[in-house]
Parts: sequence; structure tokens; C-alpha cells
Amino acid sequence: MNYQLNWSILWSGQTGGWLLNGLLTTLEISSLAWLLALTLGNVAGALRTAPIPPFRWLASAYVEFFRNVPLLVWMFFWYFGMPPLLPQALQDWLLDHGAEFWAGVCALGVYHGARFSEVIRSGIQSIPKTQFEAAHSTGLTVWQTYRLIIVPIALRLIIPPATNETLNLIKNSSVALTIGVAELTFQTRQIETYTAKAFEALAAGTVVYLVLCLAISTLMAVVERRVAIPGMIAQGNASEF
Amino acid sequence: MKRRFCFWLIVLLCISIADLSRAETTLEKIDKSGTLIIGTRTGSPPFAYVNKNNEWVGFSIDLVEKAILPVLNKKLNKQIKLEKKESAPQTRIPLLQSNAVDLIAETMTDTQSRRDNVDFSLTFFVTGAQFLVKKGGAIKGIQTIAGKRIAAQQGSTNAKIIRERVPSAKLLEFPDQPAAFQALAQGQVQAYTNDGIQLAGLKAKAPKPDDWAGVGEFFSYEPYGIAMRKNDSDFRQAVNVGLMDALASNLYFEIYDKWFGPKGEVPYPLLPETKRFLQMQVVPK
Repeated sequence: MNYQLNWSILWSGQTGGWLLNGLLTTLEISSLAWLLALTLGNVAGALRTAPIPPFRWLASAYVEFFRNVPLLVWMFFWYFGMPPLLPQALQDWLLDHGAEFWAGVCALGVYHGARFSEVIRSGIQSIPKTQFEAAHSTGLTVWQTYRLIIVPIALRLIIPPATNETLNLIKNSSVALTIGVAELTFQTRQIETYTAKAFEALAAGTVVYLVLCLAISTLMAVVERRVAIPGMIAQGNASEF
Repeated sequence: MKRRFCFWLIVLLCISIADLSRAETTLEKIDKSGTLIIGTRTGSPPFAYVNKNNEWVGFSIDLVEKAILPVLNKKLNKQIKLEKKESAPQTRIPLLQSNAVDLIAETMTDTQSRRDNVDFSLTFFVTGAQFLVKKGGAIKGIQTIAGKRIAAQQGSTNAKIIRERVPSAKLLEFPDQPAAFQALAQGQVQAYTNDGIQLAGLKAKAPKPDDWAGVGEFFSYEPYGIAMRKNDSDFRQAVNVGLMDALASNLYFEIYDKWFGPKGEVPYPLLPETKRFLQMQVVPK
């Protein structure tokens, strides 16, 4: 190849700072969106298995509507479509305080919330019916059964697919660059603009994403082992301890 | 053991194939394939865009087709076909370097840092950065943007200049022109900066062109050139001869008139000094 690799562009000048800023923005937008997604997902996931039909319909409507429209469209919706519906004063304030960031959080959070809810629903539905019946027979209400028995077990069961969703959420946060959020992918493009070194910039971005996602999956694996209920999902690994 | 051997064999093959394709010059590549592959835009009227009839046309594309292609035909002594691929500010240099395209003909500004990675032809168009605002807006030029929300296209030289000259401006960078214009139309930003000619093109294509105004003096110098792979002077010579012939004859100005003349897509009169500058790039035969 007659392309001359020049890795020093990654630490000379401002590029290192840009990458760091991009990483921080990616972490900020992803963690806020993750909290939102987990909250929405938990509620919708539990409601989808609730014995009260209107709750199930409502939750199904949310899930199907939000997960079946592309994330890019949601980004544009929250950024371009939402603000005009707000009062003028709030709109101006938002625009001066990073409207694109909050639009990105909403888009990612609500979209991934719909996907999380399916993960949680499958966790709940994998719990034997006898657990519900046992809880019921000890005198717990439906709300108590969910809060004290079902959801705590389900959350442990779904750690592997939830890790998957989390990693997806982090990588999907790069879509926010379409509405001008200066996250990691945005910054790698920025470096390319300033230095005209596309391969190095993309390689740096790739490595940062990879390290970040590997760290999270390792962490989640530890959590999975720590919170495992003996005799349930960690059965196969029990001999290791 | 056997599997590992196979793996390394495949790796080696890939490397050698990549190397082989590198060995030939662009002219040899075009001669062999009979096709000139150009990287160009789909949404930058009138330089390169898809028009109402769904045809991929524009000023830059016309220059390649009418000025450069004939030179290649003559040089290689055969009819060379033209193939267009989409390029964007982030992809155009990698597209060239990976041999996916042979030249970039769109709205690429010739800069010193880009010349470290690619070679440029003669300058074929001259413009400078301005602002597009809602008519009657407060922004009148780069002196009046402090603290304001300004949209720019990511990967453009304009964003870089604003960041350096007016750090207090809230710069929002969008990956493409439609998103940036949408943000302006909705009031997310108070002005959109890009090369003056691109803003003129955007304004002309807007649903209500009279609602918008291009304002401010040029705050940057943007000479557009055709980018090619570095160190391939025979091909660059062919491209430059094509442009010089077009500038020396009337061809360039006919094409200019077609796109920027009073009846063109985006009326943008050619300043006498710009015309003089373009013509002075032509060296004697």
C-alpha cells in the first residue's frame, strides 16, 4: 500500500483530548440512556406479563411502536420533532443547553427500553408458574409478588442478554452524531477532518469501543457470578467455587 | 497444525493480492478496466446531485465527462466508460487510497494538510465560507456569531475556522447538508455556515428561496480541486490537461454557464478576477 500510516497523529496536538472528550460524551449519553432504558424496560416488561389485560396492551403498544422504527428516525424525532411541542421559554433554554444531547438520551433510552422490556419479559416468563402460585398462596398481592419474588429472580436470569443490549446501546449511541452530538465516532471523524488520516482515526475509535465494551462484558460476567442463585442458572459452574 | 498453516496461507494471499493491485498506475488501471471510476456527491447541487429526473449530474461531473474523459480516450486510444460512486467528506480520501475510485470530483477544497495524503488538480472553482440565515436575522457575518448557535457540516474546513476564530460560538456539526438545513429551518441553530456557493445552491433548492439569505464576507478561501492518489503524475497530468484545454477553449465557461449562468440551476455570476485567476493557471502547450 502506498498509504503511509502515521500513528503519532493520535497523540500529537489536540487529537488525544478529542478522543477523551468523545469517550466521556459516549459514556454520559450511554449511561443516562441506559438508566432510562432499564426503568422503561422493567416497567414495560413486567406489565407485559401482568394478569390485567389493559396493562399488557399498553406495554405491547409501547414495545412494538418503539422497537420497530429505526433508531435514526427516533433521533430526528426527538431532536427536530419534539422541541416545537414545548413552551417557547423551555425550548430556548434547551437549545442553549445541549438539546441534541438530551434528544439523543431520549431516543436511545426509549428505543432500547422497548428492547430491554422483551429481555425482561422473557426472564419473567421463564420462571415456573409454581413460583407465582407459591407467592400467591403465602398471601402476597400481585404487586408484592412481582416486586419481591419475580422481578429479582428475572433480573438475575437475564444478565447475559441484558449485557448484550447494554453493549448494543453503547455502540448505537454513535447514531447521535447525526444530530450533532460530539461523541466518540464524531470525534474520530473530526480527527480525520483535521489530519486527513482516516485509517488511524478509525482504528483509534475501534480500539476505544472494543476496550470499553470488553470491560463492561467482563464486569457483567462478574456480576452474573456474584448474584447467581445457587441451583438456578449458575448450576453448571457450581463446581468451580 | 494444518489449520494454522492454511490460515497463514490465506493471510499471505490477501496481502499479496492487495500488493498486486497497488503495483499498477491509475492510467494502467483505467486502460485495463476501460472505466474511469469517480467519487462524487449525491446532494451538493449544482456540483454533483441527483436531479428531479433521477439523473446523477452536476458541474463537477460535467467537467470530468466533457473535459477529462476525452483526454483519457485519446491517451489510451479507446472509449473509456465513466462510473460514479458516492463519496462524502469522511470517505473520499480512503476511497481514493483503497483504489475504490480513481478521482474525487465534487466540492473538495484543496488544502495543504490534504496534500499530504492526496494530489490535487488545478483549481476548478473558487468560493469562500458564508452564513445562511433566515431573512432579517441578527447574524451578518463572522463578527456577529459570538455566543450564537451555528450549524456546520462535519468534515468541512469552515467548522475548523469557526472553532479557531470564534471559540465562543456554539458550533453544532451535522454529517450532511439536509440535517443542517433542517436545524436552521426549525430554529435549532441561528445560522448555517458552508461555502457560499453551496449555500446559494441550498437556497435555490429550498421550498421558499426568498425566506433565506446568504450573508457575510467570505471568511475562508475555498479553492476546489479534483483529488487523485498521491505520486501518480501521469494521471494527474492527463486530468490537468483536460482542465487546461477546457479553460483555454470556451468549454469550461459553457459548462459554467449551464449550471451557474442566469438560467442555470444556481445563478452565481463568475467574478472577473476569478475568471482571470482560473485562466492564468493554464500553461502554454
